[in-house]
Amino acid sequence: MKFIVSSSALLKQLSSINGVVTNNPVVPILENFLFEISNSTLTITASDLETSMITELPVEAHEDGRIAAPARILLETLKNLPDQPVTFTIDEETYTIEISSANGRYKLSGENATDFPRVPVVKGGKAIEVPSNILARAINKTIFAVSSDELRPAMTGIFVQLRPDNVTFVATDGHRLLRYRRTDISTDQEVSLIIPRKAFTLLKSTLPSEATAVRMEFNQSNAFFSFDNIRMVCRLIDERYPDYENVIPVQNPNKLVIDRLDLLSSVRRISIYSNKTTHQIRLKLNGSELQVSAEDLDFSNEASERLTCQYEGEDMEIGFNARFLTEMLNNLDSDEITFELSTPNRAGLLTPMANEDSESVLMLVMPVMLNNYV
Amino acid sequence: MDAFFASVEQRDNPELRGKPVAVGGSRERGVVAAASYEARRYGVHSALASKIAAQRCPHLLFVKPRFEVYKAVSGQIREIFYTYTDLVEPLSLDEAYLDVTENKIGMPSASIIAKEIKARILAETGLTASAGVSFNKFLAKIASDMNKPDGFTLVTPDKAAELVAGLSIEKFHGIGKVTAAKMQSMGILTGADLRERTEEELVRNFGKAGRYYYHIARAQDNREVQPHRLRKSVGSERTFDVDLTEETDMLERLQFLAAEVAGDLERLQATAKTVTVKIKYFDFTLNTRSKTYLSEFSSADAIYTIARDLLRLPQLPQYPVRLLGITASSLLYQHDKLQGYQLTLAF
Repeated sequence: MKFIVSSSALLKQLSSINGVVTNNPVVPILENFLFEISNSTLTITASDLETSMITELPVEAHEDGRIAAPARILLETLKNLPDQPVTFTIDEETYTIEISSANGRYKLSGENATDFPRVPVVKGGKAIEVPSNILARAINKTIFAVSSDELRPAMTGIFVQLRPDNVTFVATDGHRLLRYRRTDISTDQEVSLIIPRKAFTLLKSTLPSEATAVRMEFNQSNAFFSFDNIRMVCRLIDERYPDYENVIPVQNPNKLVIDRLDLLSSVRRISIYSNKTTHQIRLKLNGSELQVSAEDLDFSNEASERLTCQYEGEDMEIGFNARFLTEMLNNLDSDEITFELSTPNRAGLLTPMANEDSESVLMLVMPVMLNNYV
Repeated sequence: MDAFFASVEQRDNPELRGKPVAVGGSRERGVVAAASYEARRYGVHSALASKIAAQRCPHLLFVKPRFEVYKAVSGQIREIFYTYTDLVEPLSLDEAYLDVTENKIGMPSASIIAKEIKARILAETGLTASAGVSFNKFLAKIASDMNKPDGFTLVTPDKAAELVAGLSIEKFHGIGKVTAAKMQSMGILTGADLRERTEEELVRNFGKAGRYYYHIARAQDNREVQPHRLRKSVGSERTFDVDLTEETDMLERLQFLAAEVAGDLERLQATAKTVTVKIKYFDFTLNTRSKTYLSEFSSADAIYTIARDLLRLPQLPQYPVRLLGITASSLLYQHDKLQGYQLTLAF
């Protein structure tokens, strides 16, 4: 088998799916890309068994064939070649791959393509189309709160709920919960699924910046995404997602409205003085004043700042992990935010003052117990 | 207690009295667990390799340890302590802090209580003890080490500063080898040197321990005597009569150990975040595998599942297994959850 392809075109396709390839795969064959040529189209597959990505590009070829080519060495070679047509010559008996370029020739040993695991196909699943920029936004707004706790596998993915009137993405690590909802996308059937973090991380980095339609299909065990010439298949997390709606407080009586960047920069400064393990900071609300403070008793460090805000509610003092607040405030876009609180041991509700059209963002964060509440 | 294990052996075996005795294995790989005062004169001390001990003192008598006996004596001593106060903080089998500020016999003098305890220990166990009396834990500990054996030392507030100033830094309880070496490199050789340093400097160099050092250099120590010192880990292990080679046998033992550990956690009202599996092979080589999770757990099922995965990954033991153990650590006590505790959503 022999084909000719532009080195930069091939590199671009390989780079877009290379994130799937792990350093230490379960089976060694997964250190390879699967190359398959059919009717002058080269289809390339990368897989870690859980997630697979497939891309294709036209090549100049006179015959069909398949080979598994070592990912790392192939990518390194292409990265270091000036753009030019390169010829791949593959010996399907010995699995030897020879690349010839204007600079010289490179010989590497591939593996039998039939050893490469078969990528599942979604047939007769439910499908929905989402613009790529919206999908990327939904992932960005939630993925940072996905848990890495293997003891609670359901929370290691993003929960996607497709409903007749909206699509909702939810992530939680048990301490905070993020919900991103779109009302401009919907399906006629209700489906809920948990997509693993890795799949969405890969998707996020591969999605084109310009709006392209991404087709999402699902069946019992897999999700299938396709856009441009890229496809991704991932195994769903087969667990029951926690009943998140139940923990969202219906009414938190103490309502704080404040400039987002003012609060964010204050929290960042104050957190430098917080305890290095708990990252605990205090928010003290008194009339229209918010005091942000922290202390690290181990090192006699302390800091405090006063911010003006609008506050309706009882005077109160509540502790939070500064890292959580920083990440959450960072992921909101609006100039002003609302922070609705109840008691120092119940969840605070962080929302943008103004939601963009057809979008709603909700963030929930559990407090850290302050020393003076016993 | 003075040379505790060795004294118990000399008490129970008249032939050992007045002779250098080492409790511990005499084998090639053994170490000395305790040495009698006669043996200490030859430079034999606890944790010394038995081989070297025998070189230093050729007529040294090695005795196998009898931990059941030591535990029983330890229990007898504690019973004596409890007749004076419930504020007893054991440091080991043979050492404890007692807070007798308020005591059960209404005796205002701590010195008299200490002397009474020493006399009762001698009468009831036939063993001698050394006592240190002072107004905080740090000084009491130093005092107890000052006139061994059968010692009694009282450090009064007016003598404390002088005593601490003259103490060389490695004698400070709470300053270990590494810290002592670092201090010496900074020119801190005695308590007096330590006292010259500012709190900021000590905190910068030694973290929060620096604050403790700052205060003990001034003979200040506000730590309370904690009758229920919180354990940092709970564990259980078993040596098997026959080395195990089958996975099913190992898993069966792990299940048993996990249940024991879960029982301990329940008694302590604690949850854990870390599980460590200890594997000792037929040739005594030791392997530990450990994993820490973000969320807490306490059930036997959870502990077993984690231990099982640790046993299997990266691979099952490849040699016959002599001992298996499970330890749960990174403990969170119900009580801790009040301070700086990150609350969790109630799913």
